[in-house]
Amino acid sequence: MEPEVVEAELVLPTHMKFKKIQMYEKYPKGQARVRWKHLKQIIQAENYQNFPPNETNYVNIESPPSMHPCKRICDITGYEAPYFDPRTKLRYANAEVFKVIRSLPNDYVQRYLALRNAAVVLR
Amino acid sequence: MPFISKIQRQSDYSSFSSAHPIVIDNGGSYFRIGWAGEDEPRVIFRNIIQRPRHKITGETITVVGDHNTALLKYFDCTRSGPRSAFDSNVVYQFEIMEYILDFGFDRLGADQSQINHPVLITECACNPVQSRSKMAELLFESYGVPSVAFGVDAAFSYKYNQQLGICSNDGLVICSGFNTSHVIPFLNGEPLYEACCRTNVGGYHVTDYLKQLLSLKYPHHMSKLTWEKVEDLKMEHCYIAPDYASEVRLFQKGDKKAEEKTRVWQLPWTPTPVEEAPSEEEIARKAALKEKQGQRLREMAEAKRFNRINDLENEIRELEMLLEKLRHASEDDIPSILSKTVHNSKHDVESALAKATQSLRKAKGEPVEIVEKMDPSSAEKYNLINVPDEMLTPEQLKQKRKQLFIKSTSEARQQKKQKQIEEELERERQKKLEEERRLENPERYLEELRAKHRDLTEKIEQRKRLKTNGHTNGNNNASGGVGRGERLNPSQRERMRLLTTAAFDRGKGEDTFGTRDEDWQLYKLMSKDNDDDDDDKPDPDEAELTRISSRLQEIDPTFIFKSESGSSSAEAPRFRPLTKEDFQIILGVERFRCPEILFNPNLIGIEQAGLDEMVGVSVRRLPLKDNSLNEKITNSILLTGGSCLFPGMSERLEAGIRMIRPCGTPIKIFQASDPILDAWRGASTYAAAMQFPQQTFSRMDYYEKGEDWLRRYQLRYTI
Repeated sequence: MEPEVVEAELVLPTHMKFKKIQMYEKYPKGQARVRWKHLKQIIQAENYQNFPPNETNYVNIESPPSMHPCKRICDITGYEAPYFDPRTKLRYANAEVFKVIRSLPNDYVQRYLALRNAAVVLR
Repeated sequence: MPFISKIQRQSDYSSFSSAHPIVIDNGGSYFRIGWAGEDEPRVIFRNIIQRPRHKITGETITVVGDHNTALLKYFDCTRSGPRSAFDSNVVYQFEIMEYILDFGFDRLGADQSQINHPVLITECACNPVQSRSKMAELLFESYGVPSVAFGVDAAFSYKYNQQLGICSNDGLVICSGFNTSHVIPFLNGEPLYEACCRTNVGGYHVTDYLKQLLSLKYPHHMSKLTWEKVEDLKMEHCYIAPDYASEVRLFQKGDKKAEEKTRVWQLPWTPTPVEEAPSEEEIARKAALKEKQGQRLREMAEAKRFNRINDLENEIRELEMLLEKLRHASEDDIPSILSKTVHNSKHDVESALAKATQSLRKAKGEPVEIVEKMDPSSAEKYNLINVPDEMLTPEQLKQKRKQLFIKSTSEARQQKKQKQIEEELERERQKKLEEERRLENPERYLEELRAKHRDLTEKIEQRKRLKTNGHTNGNNNASGGVGRGERLNPSQRERMRLLTTAAFDRGKGEDTFGTRDEDWQLYKLMSKDNDDDDDDKPDPDEAELTRISSRLQEIDPTFIFKSESGSSSAEAPRFRPLTKEDFQIILGVERFRCPEILFNPNLIGIEQAGLDEMVGVSVRRLPLKDNSLNEKITNSILLTGGSCLFPGMSERLEAGIRMIRPCGTPIKIFQASDPILDAWRGASTYAAAMQFPQQTFSRMDYYEKGEDWLRRYQLRYTI
């Protein structure tokens, strides 16, 4: 290791004096990695449906959908978008933006759509 | 306010007694650790790890938090980006969490065999019990922590500000963090989780949105738009518009106000060196160099010519001597003399001499007289032509035919020459005529010439297009769907048709192909290369075009000669020198469009209520339907969390909440004293309280009471 790296203590030591079980004992090298459950799986495993509905949990404290009408803004400029292009599915503000979106390559269109979670996801 | 981190190792760890609690604010973006009762956390770093590979040794190492990025040059970071232990606001990856805790305790100065201090650590509201138990397990098992307490960051922040007298006992906290935003009402100083609500939008989403928008807007500068840089841009420039629609209209109109609100980030850019006109000296130097080179070449050529003349003169002298010798020698001696040379006869020597003299003359630059000795001798040369065939012997007849052939070819040559001269004259005459017309009315003449040039160019272009694309109106390739037929040009298509008909005509009754001579023409048509149809003879239009353009070049200073109009127009913008403006990242609408997602999460496709509506939702969820209580609660709203730092936040929130709540409801919004650090400070003061140990649970408690107890475990914030 380079001296400047050592001096900056950039690298986390593998052995910690204050630990009862070291990292290398817990996660030995060459062993299959622990598959950590993602939040979705954690929530599923919590079985919230088995508890009384008035008991608070991670899921039922979520906000409900907005009561306001959905704000439609131009995907490119952020202006208010009265128009919608059925071909690219993008919203746009005026003729100039329309010209732009029609000249956009498809992957850019998809990235703009992905910004508001509306892109076509191929699985 | 860019990233702040404190990672110096503390040295006074051993001076704290084992009863002194350690306080950890385990936030989505930052990890803060310190001692209970202190004002500032001792160690702060970004809650991420990176596991790059050392470039030389190849070993995988762990880097926690943010370090001097310059040092990462020794590591291969391409396959390991920064990783977080969080999924949304819940810790799920406890291997990463362990690295982070390792680093945190290490930098706090821990050097005993275990962490022998109670730990207060924050978690999200209503943390799933799986995550909570894993965290407790980790602290107990790996670090040997005697007791643990879990609390909610937003609640600690509210309590801290309540102690400072900013908000009251009953109130509401709006905490907009890194991954999520929460609204939690407080009643008698205790949080009411059953009335709280969470929207999964936070600072992370704002930064990500800004980063995506900018990299879509400036694809060339994508590499400059790192997460850290965009985070800085967000913190420095983003603000919350009082009313999105009217603010955006300002920009749409290109108002002066909008211009003032636009921020420009100038990327490092060095102007391309402007090509200065070479100085007089330089020009003179270059000219001298060129002159010198030319001189040398001329000298070389001169030497060569001189040599050649010398050689030729020697040769002529020798030949003359030889001739002299031959003249004086007897007939018998001639062969012996000639045998020493390459020549066979006296005649041969004479012709060689003539040749040599001619080339000498040429070398010396004297005009070579092409001797046409035909005229005097033509009569005798063609002596047999006018004699009727009957009078000639077969030998003479043959000669006559030969003479006839020679005569006709020479005559044809003559005629051609005559014609060329005539053409030359004609051209000369036309030129003169044109010149006269030009002098008569230069303006009109130029105009006419230009028009002609334009027409011709168009005509030629059209033909070229036709040749390559087929008909011009049918090929809108832009719309896609170019069929096979459209790709071929007409002549190619014709050839295909011929081939197919030739292939499929067979077997239709008797095969008569080849009986007529015209049948064989088919092969000629098929094999004809479709390009060469008029390449042999130069196109008259093109010839005319070159003539006109050269003429225009002569007389019109504004005329620019374009050899390929299509390609030049396409390539012109590419060679535009890059200017300062090309290296600017302009933040206009983005400045308030990005934080707007906190109020309208549906802008990024999250179908949940925004911050202002969340307050309404939370008040509706309160178990007690008591108007006076509601009023009390909205009268003490605390804003905390890193995403509450945007300017204009409280004004916008107040306006939004006013719309939701009944008319006349008192609404007061307070900004937390330090929206980022208040949670840790609150936790610190809480852990320093005498009654804190009663709120913790030990390893024994955890294993005895089980998971169900842990699910219900909740701190009492008022102690």
